[in-house]
Amino acid sequence: METLKNIFDFSDSPHRDLAVFGIFTLFLFLFPVLPHSSFAMATMIQFLMFSLYGMGWNTIGGYGGQVDLGKAQFAGIGAYTTAIMLIRWNIPFWVSAPTGMIFAIIWSFVIGYPLFRMKGHYFAIATIATSLVLLDVFEVWDFVGGARGLEMPLKTMPSFLYLQFRNDAYYYYVLLFLFFLGFFYINWFRKSRLGFQLRAIKDNEEVARSLGINAHWCKIKAYAIATSFVAVVGSFHACYNFNIEPEDIMSLDLSILIAMMAMIGGAGSLWGPIIGAAILIPLKSYLGSWLGGKAGLAGLDLIIYAVIIMAIAAFEPKGIWGIVEKSRRRRRK
Amino acid sequence: MPILEVQDLVKDFGGLRANNHISFSVEKGELLGLIGPNGAGKSTLFNCIAGVHQVTAGKILFEGKDITNHRSYEICRLGLARTFQIFTSSGDLTVIENVMVGSFLKTRSRQTAKKKSEAILDFMGLSGLEDQWVSELPVAAQKRVAMATALATQPRLLLLDEVAAGLNPTEIEQTIGVIRQIHFDMGVTVVLIEHVMELVMNLSQRVIVLDSGTLIAEGKPENIKQNPEVIKAYLGERYASQVTAGGEKI
Repeated sequence: METLKNIFDFSDSPHRDLAVFGIFTLFLFLFPVLPHSSFAMATMIQFLMFSLYGMGWNTIGGYGGQVDLGKAQFAGIGAYTTAIMLIRWNIPFWVSAPTGMIFAIIWSFVIGYPLFRMKGHYFAIATIATSLVLLDVFEVWDFVGGARGLEMPLKTMPSFLYLQFRNDAYYYYVLLFLFFLGFFYINWFRKSRLGFQLRAIKDNEEVARSLGINAHWCKIKAYAIATSFVAVVGSFHACYNFNIEPEDIMSLDLSILIAMMAMIGGAGSLWGPIIGAAILIPLKSYLGSWLGGKAGLAGLDLIIYAVIIMAIAAFEPKGIWGIVEKSRRRRRK
Repeated sequence: MPILEVQDLVKDFGGLRANNHISFSVEKGELLGLIGPNGAGKSTLFNCIAGVHQVTAGKILFEGKDITNHRSYEICRLGLARTFQIFTSSGDLTVIENVMVGSFLKTRSRQTAKKKSEAILDFMGLSGLEDQWVSELPVAAQKRVAMATALATQPRLLLLDEVAAGLNPTEIEQTIGVIRQIHFDMGVTVVLIEHVMELVMNLSQRVIVLDSGTLIAEGKPENIKQNPEVIKAYLGERYASQVTAGGEKI
């Protein structure tokens, strides 16, 4: 009962934030019935996926302060589990996604245990390394299709069980459901015992340990939570894209993009990953499609991200949400 | 049975011996002061007891249980909490959130943790500051928040590391009052490291003195003040001989 109340507890957010989020929610629900291009729909689906990726990353990277740049490997585990279970045993998404999540969590424990013996940059670099190693393994592993990846077999009829639809709006609503599931979970998580302990670890790990917190174990738990978010979105990605390649779903690019959502929006805040995705994803897809056609400008979008990252790192480490909060605090004084 | 027993503790940092065969015990309900000049090994001793450092040799017993080289979070869970000399916070937590981190050791419920933390803040004279950012408070209040957070873990023994350093006389007075309350009203056994003599001599029932890693004196505050070894450690050999010779030359 108390948990239920805490899931929907937004008492620390000003009414204005909630009003803005309410309007945004309304927009999200109505978007498929509003006039839109299929490109806009694809962008919105990307936005929801990356919001979820970012929310997951935020647990360990934002609240826990451990910059993880290896999340793509877990998206890969989710995607491949769903694809292989469908191809070999005809198992639907709603079974394969939780299974993929469990595989990803197991893998996160296996690598998390040694990874969290490291701190700061060393941790970040090690997470990149683990992800790239798994990518290499998948590229030469025949069981998972090697470097060519896997093709999802098409059902003759659209199916909710197998998450195969002709109309993107169905994918959109499934994802919207996952989005709100994730959002309310995070709203509970950030004020849960683990949430507080992670923030204390980020604040000062030695002090946190002196307060009875097993910092190593807390980080491993948060890493597993982040992993489950990413794995489920990975599974969704497999169904939505119909084909997966290691170079795509397990790439370093994806890992960094996942981290960027929360970092740019505001790491360690509830709204951060959503704001980050709302800005970066449209920027990415519109800029990409606009520049992609122009010869000689193909890499410009990457340069623009790099500039944004540098600006955030130099001026406001807490991202866009950090700027909002700072100006509010100044006004209150 | 003493609540804390340190037996023949040795701590080396490379070639430097920071704690040299130190033995002492703390009785339940006591308020013990630990003094000594800079670099005497006081904080090292605290860190050894609290599990931050691995000891080189010797034994530490808490309530009869051997806690030598246990991890610091295990020691806290047993009921031995401590504060740090230098309070550092990146500023992501408010006062109430900070104290709640401590409260969460004994409960999973957010509501219980919050209620308990509010009670502790009230007890420490910090109510009204709940929603302030810790990093934006004055030093005296920050140190009190650190004490409140440690207390929230419900310890039976509390180690306080220089809680009065850098405070003005009024604030020191208030801190003395707070520590008295922790000791008498909450019934927590307290060991404190302190440079501010006014605070140590006022509060402590017993004082132990470290110098260059060795325990050089132990006794009631009034006796410690006159102990020639202690005077020598603090003021140097020459001044000590003047004092003990009876010459009141200052």
